[in-house]
Amino acid sequence: MLKIVFLSLVNAAAIWAAVVLLDHHKWRAVVVLVVVTVLIDAIYLVKRWTLPLKFLIPGTVFLLAFQVIPVLYTVNVAFTNYSTGHILSSSEAIANIKENSLSVAANSASYSMTLMRDDKQHLVLALLDEDSGRTFIGTKDGLRPIPRDQVTISEGAITAAQGYSTLQANALGGLDQELSSYKVPIGGGKAIEPQGFDTAVVLEPTFRYDERENAFVRIKDGVVFKDNGRGSYVAPGGEEIEPGWKTYVGARNFGRIIHSSLIRGPFLKVFIWTVVFATSVVLISFALGLLLALTLNKPGLRFQRTYRSLLIIPFAVPAFLSLLVWQGLLNDDFGVVNRALHISIPWLFDPTWARISVILVSVWLGVPYFFLISLGALQSIPAELVEAARVDGAGALQVFRKVTLPLLLVAVAPLLIASFAFNFNNFGNVYLLTGGGPAMGDSPIAGATDILISYTYKIAFAAGKGQDYGLACAIAILIFIIVATISAVSFSRTKALENLA
Amino acid sequence: MSTAERQAELAVPAAAERRRKKGPGISDTWWRHAIALIALVFALFPVAYIVSAAFNGDNSLSGSSLIPRKVTLDNFRSLFSGQQNTTGHATFQNAHYLSWFANSMIVAAATAILTVLLGALAAYAFSRFRFKGRRMGMLSLLLIQMFPQLLAVVAIYLIVLNVGDVFHFMGLNTLTAVILVYLGGALGVNTWLMKGFFDTIPAELDESARVDGATPAQVFWGVVLPLAAPVLAVIGLLSFVFTLNEFVIASVILETQHRFTLPVGLWQFIDQKYSEHWGPFAAGVLIAAVPAALLFAFLQRYIVQGLTQGAVKG
Repeated sequence: MLKIVFLSLVNAAAIWAAVVLLDHHKWRAVVVLVVVTVLIDAIYLVKRWTLPLKFLIPGTVFLLAFQVIPVLYTVNVAFTNYSTGHILSSSEAIANIKENSLSVAANSASYSMTLMRDDKQHLVLALLDEDSGRTFIGTKDGLRPIPRDQVTISEGAITAAQGYSTLQANALGGLDQELSSYKVPIGGGKAIEPQGFDTAVVLEPTFRYDERENAFVRIKDGVVFKDNGRGSYVAPGGEEIEPGWKTYVGARNFGRIIHSSLIRGPFLKVFIWTVVFATSVVLISFALGLLLALTLNKPGLRFQRTYRSLLIIPFAVPAFLSLLVWQGLLNDDFGVVNRALHISIPWLFDPTWARISVILVSVWLGVPYFFLISLGALQSIPAELVEAARVDGAGALQVFRKVTLPLLLVAVAPLLIASFAFNFNNFGNVYLLTGGGPAMGDSPIAGATDILISYTYKIAFAAGKGQDYGLACAIAILIFIIVATISAVSFSRTKALENLA
Repeated sequence: MSTAERQAELAVPAAAERRRKKGPGISDTWWRHAIALIALVFALFPVAYIVSAAFNGDNSLSGSSLIPRKVTLDNFRSLFSGQQNTTGHATFQNAHYLSWFANSMIVAAATAILTVLLGALAAYAFSRFRFKGRRMGMLSLLLIQMFPQLLAVVAIYLIVLNVGDVFHFMGLNTLTAVILVYLGGALGVNTWLMKGFFDTIPAELDESARVDGATPAQVFWGVVLPLAAPVLAVIGLLSFVFTLNEFVIASVILETQHRFTLPVGLWQFIDQKYSEHWGPFAAGVLIAAVPAALLFAFLQRYIVQGLTQGAVKG
């Protein structure tokens, strides 16, 4: 019963989606949709052997659509020049250049223009060539002459024309938008375009597209702009035509990280800071958490339970709230930390202090977690081992170093690695506290506290600085490789640790 | 905090409370109390401070103090009323705060419920059926999630942008798109956890139901799901908190004030007018923290219940 409802919903949605897609001429998407829907139907209608699939399909569809495909697409984009100015496809870019390269011709004729509507209420231009006195009607389809005896001319402009109604001055107000995109094509790539409400001029293209050579020629001086293979038409002198188009550029984005000094410098700084940040947050949080756990793990200690439940309160508050609150607490003018301690440290505005603040706040967020982990691990260490060491004459410190810590590390090491990998990409702790700032002098994008992932985010989405999706995806892939390598190596090391213990 | 970390945290049993013999004298434990107290101050002062600021009459950051000079509910009122509060300060962006809160609840609840459902279905298949590619399937779930959605955020943005051109209801600036994207992470570590729990439910229960003529689907809905309620609740709550915290994807997809979730809304709010609206901001933070804090308390209890009871009803 449930199955029937589910299947009818899926199929209804699929049919509707197919209609919409057909409407938008997305043929490939339609094919994929039909195949997927038929497969789903088959899986749920066939009796036996598809049984496990029936349970796996729903989650897998989302996994594929929003996890696997984004990952594959990330890899794809990393090898393109997808960025501001390189968003269109090649043919769209060519059409766009042709259309936008029109400019007022040097010795261009100018017309006196009157706006009119034809019998179908379409906007037309009644044009009077002031030099020759010839009259025309211009529409979006083209220009055609209109005999003098069908128009009335007064004060150098057409005031009425047979079959057309002249627009009155008060009707012109809402026409700005329509007029600014109004073009009367007159052949040879030229067009007549309104300039204001009573004049029109002839525009001619500045570029000519040479289809055989796939190049644009600037008409006035004959300079040839060739396809540079990276999504732009470029002149020998280096001049580029806007817009370019999206195309595959091989490993160029990765090459830029290594070779382009504009990117390499900030990238290296950000990378080093990311490692320092992740390492120190994990180690300090773990050390403090362990210290607390050791302190409180004393049988019979009073208030032990109270301490524990109070200490994990920061853990119960959603991290994004804590981070935003900390941003206020550390405010250098009004923040309570400076006022309470009677100091004036620029916590978030000085590069070094901002880094310290980010670590400090991350430690604040991380200690409760490691406190709980350590407490659990400590309590799972058999008391007999500690007793035995004591009996053999080991001091408290020795017992800790030789017995407790090694055993503890075996249990905690995988969690430390996981925590490192998590902090390596701990976007929130940086971005919600400092926004990656304060700015560093040598890069318009990377700030002093930016870690790789927030740097990537800014490259892709920072407003006003141009968006470079290709480069952002390339860095994202590097981040993945770095984290995966570090995790893999350290996991194999902990295996060794386990064998020792 | 990642889901994985939260889950690891759950593994720590409260079994610590062992024999409570007569405590050692204060003379040799004073330093333990001292360290604990220092840690408590560090851990709790931001929390105490925000509570105080929420009730403080002076709502600027510079006027705030640990002990409020004048206790008032004005800050809360300004969140919910559309008007200026009594002290004459401009209000927190009240209308928007409520939208942010509602949006966050909708997104987090929908994601949590569907994550549990999708995950449980897959976990059931992995736990109860033996089929070709089963091991591979489970392994690849882990491997795929090694590349977090966070890293693919550019691709996700571009996909949503292009899909939205055709299907407006799941394009940029829609909650639907955010929820769908979050569901991409529904299968992963969660599936392993649920599968582990399902494995502990005796297969004889399934079999006897099957003998009575139940289909596999009926066994899933009628037998396994009810028995797995504790683990389902835990995973649902973890997913809820994780989603509530998510900033990057939400900030990229959502574009206008009334569509923001709490992290995106509050973040860009303080970016603009932090210091003058500290009081209402604190009140907003306090309210926003309530659902997660309640769930956290609830979650701890539920785990203990799940572990101790573990019994099979009906």
